[in-house]
Amino acid sequence: MLTLNVNGQVVTIEASSDVSLLWVLREHLGLTGTKYGCGAGMCGACTVHIDGVANFACQIMAADAANTTITTIEGLSEDGTHPLQLAWIEEQTPQCGYCQSGQIMRAAALIADNPKPTREEIIDGMSANICRCGSYPRIVRAIERAVKEDHHG
Amino acid sequence: MDKNFDASRRKFILGSSAVAFAVLATGAVTVLRNDPAKSRETIEPETLRSIKVDAWVSIDSNNVVTIHFPSTEMGQGIMTSQPMIFAEELDADWSKVIARQIDQGPLETFGNPHTGGILFTAGSSSIEGYFTKLRMAGANVRRILLYTAATVMGVPVTDLVTEKSEVIHPRSGQRLTYAAIANAGSMVTNVPAITEADLKPREEWRIIGRDQNRLDIPAKTLGETVYSIDVRVADMVYATQALAPVEGETPLQIEDGEARRIKGIIDILPLKNSVAVVATTFEAAIEARNKLQITWSQTSPFRGVNSQQELADTELAAKDLNLTATAWENRGNAVAALHADAENVVYATYTTEHVYHAQMEPLCAVANVDEDEKGAEVWLGTQSQTLSIGAAAQALQTTPDRIRFHAMQMGGAFGRRTFFARDLLVDAIHISRAVKRPVKLMWTREDDVKNGWLRPATAHHLSATLDKEGRVKAMRHRVASPSIFEFAAPQRWANAKGRDLLVMEGTESSEYDIPDFLAEHVLLKRQSRVSAWRGIGWGINCYARECFIDELALKAGQNPLDFRRRLLQNSPRSLKLLDEVTQMSDFGNAPNGRAHGLAFAGYKSTLGAGVAEVSRDPNTGKVKVHKFWAAVDPGIVIHPHNYIAQTEGGIIFGLSGLMRERVSFVNGEIEQQNFYDYEVMRIGDVPQIKVNIVESGEAPSGAGEIGVPMTGGAVANAFRALTGEHLRHMPFG
Repeated sequence: MLTLNVNGQVVTIEASSDVSLLWVLREHLGLTGTKYGCGAGMCGACTVHIDGVANFACQIMAADAANTTITTIEGLSEDGTHPLQLAWIEEQTPQCGYCQSGQIMRAAALIADNPKPTREEIIDGMSANICRCGSYPRIVRAIERAVKEDHHG
Repeated sequence: MDKNFDASRRKFILGSSAVAFAVLATGAVTVLRNDPAKSRETIEPETLRSIKVDAWVSIDSNNVVTIHFPSTEMGQGIMTSQPMIFAEELDADWSKVIARQIDQGPLETFGNPHTGGILFTAGSSSIEGYFTKLRMAGANVRRILLYTAATVMGVPVTDLVTEKSEVIHPRSGQRLTYAAIANAGSMVTNVPAITEADLKPREEWRIIGRDQNRLDIPAKTLGETVYSIDVRVADMVYATQALAPVEGETPLQIEDGEARRIKGIIDILPLKNSVAVVATTFEAAIEARNKLQITWSQTSPFRGVNSQQELADTELAAKDLNLTATAWENRGNAVAALHADAENVVYATYTTEHVYHAQMEPLCAVANVDEDEKGAEVWLGTQSQTLSIGAAAQALQTTPDRIRFHAMQMGGAFGRRTFFARDLLVDAIHISRAVKRPVKLMWTREDDVKNGWLRPATAHHLSATLDKEGRVKAMRHRVASPSIFEFAAPQRWANAKGRDLLVMEGTESSEYDIPDFLAEHVLLKRQSRVSAWRGIGWGINCYARECFIDELALKAGQNPLDFRRRLLQNSPRSLKLLDEVTQMSDFGNAPNGRAHGLAFAGYKSTLGAGVAEVSRDPNTGKVKVHKFWAAVDPGIVIHPHNYIAQTEGGIIFGLSGLMRERVSFVNGEIEQQNFYDYEVMRIGDVPQIKVNIVESGEAPSGAGEIGVPMTGGAVANAFRALTGEHLRHMPFG
């Protein structure tokens, strides 16, 4: 038995002690917005927040995430209106969309930590996440837009 | 088994008080109406089958228009752009349009004329193939609504206009929503047939050519989009495969005692190419897979293949002019012209290595075989519903109508999901049949890499002669590579007469004014599984040709721009693109330490030109791309914002491929495993990109691949201009 705090809810699941957080989220809890891309911490499709810090869910044992606060894309905002989610629509960023949960979660941790990142800091901060469709220029623009609008708003 | 599904899936579901319009291939329209007397709002499947149609569109009581689109969404935005075309002619209120995937259906109605009449999303053919078909269908439905409204209002149909899902009688101010018309007593379907002359003139378009928001994007910001890997159905179990290390091998002996003791294991099954492990959780399946001891057969001919040897042999084959080749494009007599001027022939050879698609979603299939084992429900992210349904039906030795198919959003495809169902989906079906439960069969990233269908190694031997003024008199583009077509679509290859469009397209150089020209294919035996890759033949063929054109310009003592201008003198569209891209980039005026390179490289009927600005990376000594400009002419642009996004993505894909992407294999086994040894471009390596559309008003063409072909030539030519070094082998990094 494993107890986790995911998106503000305490959930108890039956899973072996060495299962990664990724498969617990996706297949045990049905939170499929967090994606499997590589299982090796190389692509960032599985990025979630653990106590507010961006992490590869595929590289963390679920058991090690007990007593933490886990946030997935489904819990990033109440109603899909996180400034990044809105900016992602404004910039029409996603193409296939598969990597975008991870991209948004990575960016959310980045701007929470550094509310006014420079372009270099954005690029540096996002380098753990791969987008094969090539939406990178729009990821940068969306983050810049979110930061700007949040700042003025 | 899921009894409810059979009842719901086979019928065309309508919302309450809705009406659906099925437009036959002939243009005739059948109106399908729900029967309010029945509790389930459905059209009986017999009705649909007897009239051999499904519906393109339905309109519900809230005037919401649901448009069904035939191509599958892999990121290219087709879920929005195809409905835009239909909605334009229907004169629908775009803010109240819903798009729904067509999972199957009569090919007479829904097949793509540009992919052999089947449901197949490949080769950037979805816009060019469906443009007229969708317009005609939309116009047909609008006409029925108009005629019915005329009857309801008691006015001549010629006095009516439409706007945003309403029919309006301007003289009286009467208005009827499409929903209200659909709920009128009976629809007038006996209307004059639509012809192309009835379609809206371009100046009246208000949906096409505008930057509509993509319909798929909001869900993709919420993590709500369901890909095949996300499918979860009741009672579902998980399967993984221990796949043969080398193609063609089969498991001979399986020691699975330890694996079977793992909690949650349901079964361990030998398949032809693998051993499948089925468990109640994915992690248990993987754990058990790791404990299997498998003795594989050792007889596959692929045990003896090595990628470096293949590459060397391919280069030799391209250069050996005595080897037989299949002509792909032949104008004049290039062989004779080159022979006549043999001492002045300029030649060069370019090679490309194997590459892998690296779509972000590893391959996955979900299947649930029926109790009688003669039908199945299937969920698959696929580029072809038709081919996938066919593969599933064949696996069960049943008829396609017994396959209840769900075409899922794809987490990228790039050519990987064209002909693959015969492996992955067929295996999922075999497993589901054996364990009598719905099965999600997932490949890990390592499985996906090591069992990739690769763009094969190619070699391009180009030769040409120039006249005294430096004009290209004759040119020969000789490509050596295995056939992709032969492996991917053996039935079609049998009738192709050795002509492989997946390898050879893009060699034609048809915009170039070269009197004697030959493109030919030296067909080699494949040494790996092979596949089309984003850009298909255009990507590699345009790379080789555009490098060679620069080499010819150098020989002629001309700058690459003027040299191409003369070659393109008969193509005003092409000259416009050269003008545009050279203006955008201030071509030839790169800052110190950098240089510009130009490539004229289109994709099918799309024309394109690109300029790269590069330097030499002081740390690696390799080429570094700082900026990339592209000018493209796709004909009519359906969705400009998305067109530019697709072209940007294609440029990045092309640049990624030419920098570091490389698959190698030794003794038939692919050496790479994952993103740590197969490196795709990350955000920090992306150059500044600017794409301009130069619209000619010609028939529309696709968006997904035009970015790729211009990248190789532009980057290599820039590096040569900077350093004098030729990049004749891809990847460059």
